[in-house]
Amino acid sequence: MMGAQWAVLVAAFLASAVEFVEAFTIVLVVGITINWRSALAGTAAAVLALVVLVGVFGTALVRYVPLDALRFVVGILLVLFGLKWLKKAILRYAGLKAMHDEEAIYEEQMAEMRARGEHHQHRVDPFGVATSFKSVLLEGLEVAFIVITFGSAANSISSAIWGALAACVLVVLVGALVRAPLQRVPENTLKFVVGIMLTSFGTFWGGEGVGISWWREDLFLPILVIFYLVVTGLLILWLRPYATPKSASLDAPGQSAEEALS
Amino acid sequence: MNPILRGLKATYNFFAGDAILLVATAVAFVIGLLLVHALKAPNPLVAIIFVGCVVGGLALTLGRELRGRERQQ
Repeated sequence: MMGAQWAVLVAAFLASAVEFVEAFTIVLVVGITINWRSALAGTAAAVLALVVLVGVFGTALVRYVPLDALRFVVGILLVLFGLKWLKKAILRYAGLKAMHDEEAIYEEQMAEMRARGEHHQHRVDPFGVATSFKSVLLEGLEVAFIVITFGSAANSISSAIWGALAACVLVVLVGALVRAPLQRVPENTLKFVVGIMLTSFGTFWGGEGVGISWWREDLFLPILVIFYLVVTGLLILWLRPYATPKSASLDAPGQSAEEALS
Repeated sequence: MNPILRGLKATYNFFAGDAILLVATAVAFVIGLLLVHALKAPNPLVAIIFVGCVVGGLALTLGRELRGRERQQ
């Protein structure tokens, strides 16, 4: 199952990269507006909470739940999660939803911080810690979910953890060098690829759980991936003519931060 | 809002956030189980219906988005 291990590693890496880039924008705002000690303290606490979550649930699932039952439940969850990501990515590719704009979110968060009267200070600020903790934890929860479900169902939770950690290190390193919102990361493409992978693996494992014997067994997975790529491509072509500049800006910079982060 | 309802809503938003996707996925799995275990339907037929429900759910929810946006304009 080397192929599945690589797929788990790549999916966890890509999903984590998207989510950590989004979390990094808020951490950056806290670091610049208040101080880096508060931003990093909140981030470290959130990462620790996520590691504990993955460790506890991941280990428990792998140890105590039979693989067949696990894959059935994980299949349902992965299909749901994959379709959710695919829907957003398709709407963005078709021009019906604005692309995720890290610069706009950064500016909006900076304005909110200034409006609250936050200013640079030397001591650790509880509000700064809480803000970065919340953003990293909320974004990281989706990553933790993918790592736990994908990793445990493929019986390769370590691959998923390595993928997520590699993305985390990469985002932190690039972020530390650039010290600005990471706008050039092709977030929608990453979300689209992850959506395809989650939906394909979810369909495959869920189908096995239902009782379907896939033609050529594991070799059917790439066929499912290609099938979903073709279908989503057709859906984008169907929706594209309906895109107008107005519809693409419906949820552009003026959107709430919560909506923008989704 | 009641804390239990808030928790349920947050869980729903985390996993699906879209009623059509949730129903389509549930239908795919329920029909799949029925076809395999109750009706002993042929494997390729079950596979096609299963994948069809998933794709159908995605197409339906995108169609609903489109209609919603057309109404807004």
